[in-house]
Amino acid sequence: MTMLPLKRFAVLALPMAALAMTTSASAQEWTPSRSIEFVAPANPGGGWDTLVRTMSRVIQQEELADESFAAINVPGGGGAVAWAQVARDNGNPHKLFATSPPMILVPLAGASRYDHTDFTPIARINTDYSIILVAADSEYQNLDDLFTALKENPSLSVGGGSAPGSMDHISVAGLASAAGMEASSVNYIPFSGGGDAMTNLMGGHIEAVIGGAGEAVGQLGEGSQLRALGVSSEERLGGGLADVPTYQEQGYDYTFDIWRGVMGAPEMPEEAVEYYEALFAEMLETDAWREASDQLGWIDAYQDSDAFATFLDEQQEQFSSVLTDLGLMRQ
Amino acid sequence: MDAFNNLMYGFGIALEPINIAYVFAGVFAGTIIGMLPGLGPISALALMIPITFAMEPSSGLILMAGVYYGAIFGGSTSSILLNAPGVAGTVATSFDGYPMAKQGLAGKALAIAAYSSFVGGTISVVFLMLIAPLLSKVAVSFGPAEYFALMVLGLTAVVSLSDKSLVKGLIAAVIGVMISIIGIDMQTGTERFTFGSIHLLDGVDFLVVALGIFALAEVFYMLLRGGGGKEAPRNAIGSLKLTRSEVKQIAGPVSRSSVLGFFTGVLPGAGATIGSFLGYSMEKRIAKDGDTFGKGNIKGVAAPEAANNAACTGSFVPLLTLGVPGSGTTAVLLGALLVMGVNPGPMMLEQRPDVFWGVVASMYIGNIFLLVLNLPLIPLIAKILDLPKPLLLSLILIFCMIGVYGMSFSVFDLLLLLGFGLVGLGMRLFGFPAAPLILALILGNIMEESMRRALQISGGDWTTFIDKPISLSLLVIAVLSLGLPLLKKRRTKRLNTAE
Repeated sequence: MTMLPLKRFAVLALPMAALAMTTSASAQEWTPSRSIEFVAPANPGGGWDTLVRTMSRVIQQEELADESFAAINVPGGGGAVAWAQVARDNGNPHKLFATSPPMILVPLAGASRYDHTDFTPIARINTDYSIILVAADSEYQNLDDLFTALKENPSLSVGGGSAPGSMDHISVAGLASAAGMEASSVNYIPFSGGGDAMTNLMGGHIEAVIGGAGEAVGQLGEGSQLRALGVSSEERLGGGLADVPTYQEQGYDYTFDIWRGVMGAPEMPEEAVEYYEALFAEMLETDAWREASDQLGWIDAYQDSDAFATFLDEQQEQFSSVLTDLGLMRQ
Repeated sequence: MDAFNNLMYGFGIALEPINIAYVFAGVFAGTIIGMLPGLGPISALALMIPITFAMEPSSGLILMAGVYYGAIFGGSTSSILLNAPGVAGTVATSFDGYPMAKQGLAGKALAIAAYSSFVGGTISVVFLMLIAPLLSKVAVSFGPAEYFALMVLGLTAVVSLSDKSLVKGLIAAVIGVMISIIGIDMQTGTERFTFGSIHLLDGVDFLVVALGIFALAEVFYMLLRGGGGKEAPRNAIGSLKLTRSEVKQIAGPVSRSSVLGFFTGVLPGAGATIGSFLGYSMEKRIAKDGDTFGKGNIKGVAAPEAANNAACTGSFVPLLTLGVPGSGTTAVLLGALLVMGVNPGPMMLEQRPDVFWGVVASMYIGNIFLLVLNLPLIPLIAKILDLPKPLLLSLILIFCMIGVYGMSFSVFDLLLLLGFGLVGLGMRLFGFPAAPLILALILGNIMEESMRRALQISGGDWTTFIDKPISLSLLVIAVLSLGLPLLKKRRTKRLNTAE
């Protein structure tokens, strides 16, 4: 029973200690005084979890930080449970979490009390892109073929790996808008994951799939049952996706980033933010990171805290307008 | 004899001393993980990714696959001894396994579970080896309409799982479906039955319900009946030996359920839990002594145990031949393989035969290890039943609490567990069977999602369910399996009244 008062004391003492550090030693750099809780707001195995575990591992392996990064899974509500938990930890410089477009989309859909402005942006780390896939024996050879068919017959089904109004749906709806269609006319079929959607495409149950390029790359190439029609990046991607033209190359002025980054507790001290920015920038330069990113199909897209904050605001605007078109805005 | 050569090549890899060590470590860790309720293979595998990162891909997958099927193997132990399923795939094992343990036959139940798991695992590895590449076609042939039909067929088992009162069974099933759709609706993003709580947005975890309704309810029930507990013969683990006639009895169920389980596992999204239920209800229907299922029939332990292990192996088919994960656990495995630089998919057999055949061969070895490891452990583990009742009940309670908390670190889930424990107690007191609820909980959500997906694809045209041959045949079997027992009942009733 002595645990409780102690814990309470720690909660009070930490921000105070951080405050003391900022005032008395402002000339000195801030460094973590205990291990850092690095939260993946989801179950083990997903995108957030992989980011958290890969970053923690690389930082430890390359001995970039004196204190360790402890990966913690807080699943629930598409991230909302973890966000509610971190939001309570005002000013704690030892609490970070992985983030990506759902940080914007879930609050816009009205499923979280907290949105990105409630937290401290630390850095954007990397990005993946959307990719449009069809079956290898499909008659569609490029985006024009697909969208001509979709315009004629809007009931053709496009599968994705997440619920309506979330990442995959926004991505394909935005592309449809750019192709001159009504965003809401796409017959988007939500599956329980990108893999599920791709299996259904291979089986001929749906016409096309919108998914993450990193997830799809293993499915393409020699002997593949699938064909990629376009990626949402500005320039062509490398490796196994070098042959896949961008949307823009094919005359569709539209790009979509599946960015990933790190945010911290609300009102994190400026010194701590600077410390993490520098740490992550250094991490991106290591060979261990390079190797892991290559294997996972990640593309570095570093932004520091200020740039990331601006980027997040822009994303919110862009997503709001697509969600409004789709009639899914709930905020 | 291509498969034979490939297998020899695989054994060449799997029999390297280091890989034998990995298989052993994997299945041993898996057994332990499986025995502890709550700690499932998914989180265990995710935690292992950093360890396997630096390993040879074949060794890494051998180790991780061992943990996975080891957990399904070991999961039966707590189902049988404590009525607390160790992993989701072993819920059905408790239906007859726990009654057997109460009758002092714990040793026999555990031995049957071990033998059946071994046979199920081994038969399915043979299938995996011989026809995996062909099966990738089967895996993708199931679209939303076919899944809907399969789930309907699965749900017809409610009739056979309802023992005395069909109405009470149906009521339990409806409650199960309702629990299964709690959370954000995948098709529209609408919240259902969440009462505004963010803790319910992702729905209720299956194991929370299963542990509550089975294990906790049992604890409450025993408490209500007073601590005496003279009815259960303590100190009686019983013999592990099976008589010749018992072996004969379970031979059929084990081999049928192994095949059924394997094919269920091949379908992405179906998996060990559904496989074990299908195996159980199939055997209950065709057995002559079907009405003793649920009261400690050895076939009721053998069938789900063979099926869930076979399904576990089957789930490697879509993972390795298509590169798509069929379940949460195989999704983590896929992630681990990608990190190790292996791209599972149609080309994997050509590009990385070492990984494919190495793992297949290691599964033979792993299943033997599991049998050799588990059989001598049975008398030791079953000693838990010798504990005085107050201790045993507290232990079950603690196991369930730790298990649930360890899954989600959520106090809310602990309250849910308690709530479902009380629901389970109420059901027992008023004679509602728990199995239909659990079955409906597993199938309900997939059934609903598949139905709506299929209709969305077809533009709202219901004939999509009978246009497709697979879906049509599954629905016909469903109607037959519902109709025939009812007709039979009616006829016997008419005969009775005529007399």
